[in-house]
Amino acid sequence: MRRDDSLTQHVDWWLFTVVIIMLGMGIANVYSAAYDPDHPSIFDFSQKYGKQIMWVGFSLFLGLLVFLIDADIYRKFAIPIYLFTFCLLIVVLFMPAVNGAHAWLGFGSLGIQPAEFAKIGTAIALSTYVSNVNIKQQNMQTVFLALGIVLVPMVMILLQPDAGTFVVFTSFFFVLYREGITFDPIVLRIVNTIPGVKFKETWVGSHFIPILFFTIFLSLITLLMSGNQYEFSFMPGVLIPGFYGILLTLAVIALLAYLMLRWISAKREKGRVLAIVLIGFLLSASISTAVNFSFKNLAKHQRDRIELFLGLKQDPDGEDYNRNRAMAAVGSGGLFGKGYQQASVASVESNHVPESETDFIFCPLAEEWGFMGSIAIVFLFMFMLIRIVIIAERQRSTFNRVYAYSVAMIVFYHFAVNIGMNIGFAPVIGIPLPFFSYGGSSLMSFSIMLFILLKLDSQRRDVLH
Amino acid sequence: MNLDGRKYVILVFIILVGIVYLARLFFMQVVDDTWKLRAAEIAEKRKEITPPRGIVFDRNGKKIVTNRSYYNLMMREDDIVDLDTAAFAELLGWTPQEVKNRFWNIRKKEGKYRNPHTGKLQENYQSQRAYPFIEELTIDEITRIAPNLAKFPGFYEDLTSMRFYPYAGGANIFGYLSEVNQEEIEEDGFYRRGDHIGRAGIERYYEKELRGRKGIKYIVTSASMNAIESYANGKYDTTARQSPPLKMGVDIDLQVYGEKLMVNKRGCIVAIEPSTGEILALVSAPSFDPNLLVGKQNISKNYPVFVMDEGKPLYPRPLAAEYPPGSIFKLVQSLIGLQEGVITESSGFPCNKSMVGCHNHPSAGNLPDGIKHSCNPYFYYVTRRIIQQGKKRSMFADAEVGLNLWADYMHSFGLGEKFDSDITGLRPGLIPNAAYYDEWYGHHAWAFSTIRSISIGQGEVKVTPLQMANIAAIIANKGWYYTPHFVRSIGNSGPLPQFRKKHYTMVESKHFAPVIEGMRRAVYAPGGTAHRASFSEDVIVCGKTGTAQNPAGEDHSIFIAFAPMDNPKIAIAVFIENAGFGGVWAAPTASLMMEKYLKRKITDKEKETRILTANLLNVKPKPKKKK
Repeated sequence: MRRDDSLTQHVDWWLFTVVIIMLGMGIANVYSAAYDPDHPSIFDFSQKYGKQIMWVGFSLFLGLLVFLIDADIYRKFAIPIYLFTFCLLIVVLFMPAVNGAHAWLGFGSLGIQPAEFAKIGTAIALSTYVSNVNIKQQNMQTVFLALGIVLVPMVMILLQPDAGTFVVFTSFFFVLYREGITFDPIVLRIVNTIPGVKFKETWVGSHFIPILFFTIFLSLITLLMSGNQYEFSFMPGVLIPGFYGILLTLAVIALLAYLMLRWISAKREKGRVLAIVLIGFLLSASISTAVNFSFKNLAKHQRDRIELFLGLKQDPDGEDYNRNRAMAAVGSGGLFGKGYQQASVASVESNHVPESETDFIFCPLAEEWGFMGSIAIVFLFMFMLIRIVIIAERQRSTFNRVYAYSVAMIVFYHFAVNIGMNIGFAPVIGIPLPFFSYGGSSLMSFSIMLFILLKLDSQRRDVLH
Repeated sequence: MNLDGRKYVILVFIILVGIVYLARLFFMQVVDDTWKLRAAEIAEKRKEITPPRGIVFDRNGKKIVTNRSYYNLMMREDDIVDLDTAAFAELLGWTPQEVKNRFWNIRKKEGKYRNPHTGKLQENYQSQRAYPFIEELTIDEITRIAPNLAKFPGFYEDLTSMRFYPYAGGANIFGYLSEVNQEEIEEDGFYRRGDHIGRAGIERYYEKELRGRKGIKYIVTSASMNAIESYANGKYDTTARQSPPLKMGVDIDLQVYGEKLMVNKRGCIVAIEPSTGEILALVSAPSFDPNLLVGKQNISKNYPVFVMDEGKPLYPRPLAAEYPPGSIFKLVQSLIGLQEGVITESSGFPCNKSMVGCHNHPSAGNLPDGIKHSCNPYFYYVTRRIIQQGKKRSMFADAEVGLNLWADYMHSFGLGEKFDSDITGLRPGLIPNAAYYDEWYGHHAWAFSTIRSISIGQGEVKVTPLQMANIAAIIANKGWYYTPHFVRSIGNSGPLPQFRKKHYTMVESKHFAPVIEGMRRAVYAPGGTAHRASFSEDVIVCGKTGTAQNPAGEDHSIFIAFAPMDNPKIAIAVFIENAGFGGVWAAPTASLMMEKYLKRKITDKEKETRILTANLLNVKPKPKKKK
């Protein structure tokens, strides 16, 4: 076992740099979104931007602490950490409700949200658990225990209630999927009760999670888009029904995927790649068609209910107020945006978009920087997520890998749901955009999460198992 | 079980979401305009700034139409906190019930609309919007109310401007303003609810000029409708621009003097500058102070009174009242006769009263004397010669040709047709032609003897006082006129093109001298009908009296004139209803007007007093007598 003396050696500077860029952009963005002309200084600590700088400083300090502590501690103290965050989840239920949810553990205005930290505790606990499981011999008990680690805090969070964080916890299912802890034992148990059937494994059971989520994702998009008609400015008068638009988009994605995979895959695999892409496309198209067809043939009251849930019913000043305003802000940004601090819909003074500095932080960003800003944000997150997956895959220890995947999937969920609700692809559930949204809890928890990952990664060579 | 491949599933998920989101963002932000429009609807408001209405000057550069500041007491319901209705009512001098009713009325007046999404009837009234609670408060009233408004959050004062007429005259020239109606809002995008539009007079004709150009300020508004800042730092804003001032040909002193002279009389005075066609005065009696029709409160109070008034003060007599012109018509008949060569200056006709009646005077041996005496038989013969020229063998066919020729001449004098002018409410009058009498009597069933009363300006002929004044101007100019008009210039752009076009009559200028001489004799020669029209040694007035028969009562008194004879500066027509012979009332009134205009002061105070104090409203109808 070889110890490195330097703290900074083997640190993944790519990931670190992305985090720092995001924190910087986040401060600039909060300064714009929460700007108060009476307090023009960005370092005015009575203002949200001043506080955000304070939180960033504190988060970086916590990051430094994380770097000073040996990464072994997390594996060793996994259960106490998990229990500690769990206890906080219990305590918080007895705190006074803020906006109808018992989510804040307050020291006055400097409150924290235990749910944010429960993600870290759960990630560490799950990593420890999975690293001790022999995947080859997994059974129902393995699956249930793993699920339990995730589900128990989820229930506590639902009691607050905090729908956003609850949804985010389902990201751990992807981690379990990656590690091979799947629903197959359960599916097998059910399937094998049929006389004469004796499966060792089922494809559906093994890939249950991605199939489920892909189906949900595609169905949601189908439902959201198929009712609309689109007219392009370069083809005036031609109305494209939304459903064909989806099929067209799927075809384009399949073509792009094929070309990309062809380019990176070996020669002999080309036929296989084509087959996979083609099957994927046909499968997606048929899911989409099925959803579209069955939705169209639902009874009217059922359709109404679904439309209401999805926010498809036009009620821009009622139920759908927030998302309607948010989409107007994003859409009005145009190609190059309205300019820094020039947002007219999402600005704090106009107050058309509620929570524009927290859950809807993407609004001022997209309105002020336009599509160029949106590209930058999406690319930054894509880069960060792919980088974390690469980091995860180079870990020698299962613990590190599971933890890294947990971080990747949590960030991915926050990114997908938060931006999704700004562009009408996701229902409005309040979860912050990591490193951008104003707020100490999310900033600290994401920083700690990322710095633990960086620390684990920097020590990956130390680990023998 | 190979788990390594599963990392690709996760990567594909991440990349797929990224691509789909980028596509969606590209669509929303770059391709599709729906959300841009929605954002504009939500956050950007156009605020229109209405400039004060254009100022109007008279010919001497006096401001005759200006604006005066008024205040509206505005109310924004969302800002109202615990309104103490009793105290507020006391401040306004209202009863608490009136205050409550006012709130209710504002709401009711806004009306309802059907929400296209929900299909429900919803009120247009919005509690976050400001509405005028009391309109048109004077500075005195607002200075009493404003200091106490701090106690009543949600109420504030707002400055507006309204018309003010410093000379309290010219009501029938200027017209008045009132709020636009729904139809006008829909027709012209310029107007918004509560804007004012010209309803009559030059306020109506020059509406598009006087209203100016609205300024548009694009502002970003908050969710609670407050203005926050100008949009894009005012890049797209336009400034409000007041219209350039209108410069009128009217002499406001003359106008006001004319209105004074016409107090307690019905009728009108029209004065024109012959060399330009500019109207110097256009008096319609009875008249009223134009300030009485400024603002909603005044209009609702006074308008019904004016409508019900027996004297019809809103009726623009000089333009719209069509009277038989009476004897002044003889001037035109003479000119046509001379041009047609059917008479000469020295033609004489006996005053034999066989066909038309006449007063007692010696027979006229020449045309000027015929005019001086206003001899009816003389002009019976003149007109008969014009109409029955013997060009056709049949008397009826001959009259047909002759009358149509005569009508053409009359039209060339601007009679029987509307002027293309900036005067709203013009009437054409009536010059009958052959087709007109065919309707009455049948084709070739009439001849001159049937229609002889037109020769002395009676019968079917109808002329407006404005046209009468224009006849005087034509004679003063010896054969041409500019369309009579009010405005000599918009800003510094000069008269409108249609006012720069000289209209020539069909009569050559050489034929005018004997007629002018006749008009001079009517004023100065012994036995002349209009000796009351002279006012000064050094100004020669040429005039012609007229008396239009009025079957309903006393005859109308008419007089037209121009002066000075050699270099005419003013042409005038005075028409006084039911005042009898033209020489008695109309001629002295005209002389006062001309003296006022040319000399700026009146020498014959006795004459002035006589006219000023005369009340000709209730002259008893004389028993009918044949003339």
